[in-house]
Amino acid sequence: MKKAAQFRSELNRSIRTFFDEKGYLEVETPSLSPDLIPEPTIENFATRFDNEFVGSSDLYLIPSPEVYMKKLIAQGFGSIYQIGHCFRNSEQLGRHHNPEFSMLEYYSVDMDEQDSIALTEELFAYLDGPDHLRPPFDRLTVSEAMWQFAQVDLDKNQSQKALAQEARRLGLSVPDGPESWEDTFNRIFLTLVEPNLPQQRPLVLDRYPAQIDCLAKREGNYRRRWEMYAGGVEIANCYDEETDREKVSAYYRKQYAILIQQRSERGSVIPDADPDFADIFDNFPQCSGVALGLDRLQMLLMGESNIEGVILFPFSATISSRK
Amino acid sequence: MIKAGQIDKGTALLIKGQPFIVVDREFVNPGKGSAFVRLKLKSPATGQTLSETMKTQDNVDDIMVTDRDCQYLYNDGEFFHLMLTDTFDQLEVPMANFPDYEFLMKDGETYRCTFWESQLLDIQIPPKVVFFVAEAEEAVKGDTVQGATKYVTTETGLKVRVPIFIKQGEKIRVNTETKEYLERVNN
Repeated sequence: MKKAAQFRSELNRSIRTFFDEKGYLEVETPSLSPDLIPEPTIENFATRFDNEFVGSSDLYLIPSPEVYMKKLIAQGFGSIYQIGHCFRNSEQLGRHHNPEFSMLEYYSVDMDEQDSIALTEELFAYLDGPDHLRPPFDRLTVSEAMWQFAQVDLDKNQSQKALAQEARRLGLSVPDGPESWEDTFNRIFLTLVEPNLPQQRPLVLDRYPAQIDCLAKREGNYRRRWEMYAGGVEIANCYDEETDREKVSAYYRKQYAILIQQRSERGSVIPDADPDFADIFDNFPQCSGVALGLDRLQMLLMGESNIEGVILFPFSATISSRK
Repeated sequence: MIKAGQIDKGTALLIKGQPFIVVDREFVNPGKGSAFVRLKLKSPATGQTLSETMKTQDNVDDIMVTDRDCQYLYNDGEFFHLMLTDTFDQLEVPMANFPDYEFLMKDGETYRCTFWESQLLDIQIPPKVVFFVAEAEEAVKGDTVQGATKYVTTETGLKVRVPIFIKQGEKIRVNTETKEYLERVNN
């Protein structure tokens, strides 16, 4: 494992040099937070601050540094980056998941998601990995990929009912009960599209369907969001960040309502919500943010097939030793 | 009924009325979405394989299976002939449904078998098995690209790539999933 530790140390150094030379400021933001941005599908860790004299309060481990970094951008910090730990509860253990993992997150002010593709290509050229991790990246839009690998026309299947019919035509099982468009989309995408995506070069899968709600700007039926796959593994996610206060507010309220409903049923952690979150967007510049899974990147660069090959103390080993 | 998230390798499921055994399971969390599980399934009745992706919250029909011991008698090129060791009943299982098993099963050996009612769903080959080297070719000099190896054939007819020091009449331990040589076994 010492080799993995040395590799990580060098990788971090390269990443820092790359962004420092471009004038990005490295920041460190808290891992413990009194509230989180509501993301219903990402379960959280809760803990507590206790002080005999000051009192106590609930705290949560961040699933991503997004909120704090956006607060800095709203304060006029300009382009920033961070290498830090993120925490996602009940994340399935296995080849590509660990509940505590390392993330490289970079926000570029006055840039959009297309500029972020060029920046990420430069980063990958700088990291100088094997051919399948080098630019130029292949590019496909989500609708092109859905058409190419599943013969599903997303523009003609904007309702869940229509999309479910397509899924059944393709021989997939879709339960009769109510289901979101997004879940039906993922049944098709994960079965027929994702496993067949080209792997010779990194792939940017661009323009996600608008039905998959997120804080990326909307454009017609799509959002200005891309995900990057390398070696068939999803390693990065990028938005042209929503800057409209009202849209952010509406998203936040809707997601928090979904989160409360789903987690009350399951009995899992319901984090507090920041009542002032939307204030960040009173004066928020045009920017694009990328979150890149660092453990996965290192796994690919080292030719490992399992993320546990690059994490010094993998969670699965930690819990099995306590059983 | 179980949740798809509870499915593991070896779980037996009823899909569109047909029994299937899960041969591979992988969890996937799409960027923004709910957790899914990607399954590879095999039908013991037809040998057909199937890929399915389910939400971990989806309900799936699992089936109650039982394990029973069967002795492997022989194969006739088309069927494996097995005998239940508790009732001495004999079974015929199409060899095509278990590709490669003819090279992994030893005549007279007893195997745990998975049954759904009276239907045999799976023959459980242990992950590591000791085989007898029935034939060993002479080592070819100079072939060191792969670290000096050669092929041997076991008593079951399985061809395995081994280090050149393995001789006919010796015993070797083999990973039955990858069919790779693990180590020499001393008597």
